[in-house]
Amino acid sequence: MNLFRSEEHARRWPAFQARSEEGFIGLVELAGFFATESRHHMLDADYLSTWYPRRAEERRAYLELIGKTGPFWMGTPDPGTA
Amino acid sequence: MAIADAVLRDRMFHRIMRGLIDTGSAPHHAELARALGLGLEEGRSLLHDVMRAYPIGWLHPETDYIASFPPLNNLPTQYRITVRSEQRWFAQCGFEATSVTWLFPGETVRVDAPCLDCGDPVTLEMRDGRIVWVDPPGVVGHLNYGFGPSRGRPPFL
Repeated sequence: MNLFRSEEHARRWPAFQARSEEGFIGLVELAGFFATESRHHMLDADYLSTWYPRRAEERRAYLELIGKTGPFWMGTPDPGTA
Repeated sequence: MAIADAVLRDRMFHRIMRGLIDTGSAPHHAELARALGLGLEEGRSLLHDVMRAYPIGWLHPETDYIASFPPLNNLPTQYRITVRSEQRWFAQCGFEATSVTWLFPGETVRVDAPCLDCGDPVTLEMRDGRIVWVDPPGVVGHLNYGFGPSRGRPPFL
C-alpha cells in the first residue's frame, strides 16, 4: 500500500501487479478511507475494545460510498482467482 | 474475568500507542509489564493478546518485539513522519500514513517518501485529517495486492 507520484509511476514500478490496475485511489479518497469515525478515537483509553471492532464495517461502508465494491478492495472471495 | 482482560488489553494498547507517539519507539513488553503492575511473563503474554486483538499490527517473526503498530511502524519504512520539525516516526505504509494525522491533533503531520518507481520525493502534509499540502499534485495511493485472502504477507505490504 504505497504512495506514488502518479499512476504512471506506479505502473513502472517493477513489482506492479497487473491485477492491481484496479488498486488506485485518489489522495482525497484515501484520506477519507482512513478518516472514518473510529480513527478519530485512536487515542482513547478504550480504543481497542470499543472503537477498533467498528473499523471493518466503517471501511466497507466507505468503500461502497466511493464505488470500490469488488473483491479486490472488499477482501471478499474472488471467483476469478479461485 | 473477560472484562478485566479487555481492560488490561486496552491499557496496554494505549501505553504502546502513547509510547510510539511520545518517543517514536514502541516500548518493550518488560517496560509495559512494569507500567501496568504485571509480572514479566504476564506482560509478555498480554502483549501477544493485544497483537491478536489488533491483527493489523505484528511482532517481528518469532520474537516479542513490536514491529508494526499501525498507523505507526516501529521498524523503519520509507514513510517518514515529521511533526513539529522532528522526523521521529515511520508509518506502516503509504495508506496508514494518511491516518497518522489522528495521533497528533492540532499539529501539521508531514509524510515524506521516495516514489518506488523513480526515487523522487512524494510529500504530503495533513492537519486534523485535512490534506493541506501535497507535492507533486498527482500523488496517488496504490494497493498492489487486494485486501483479504489475496493480501499477501503483512511485512511486505
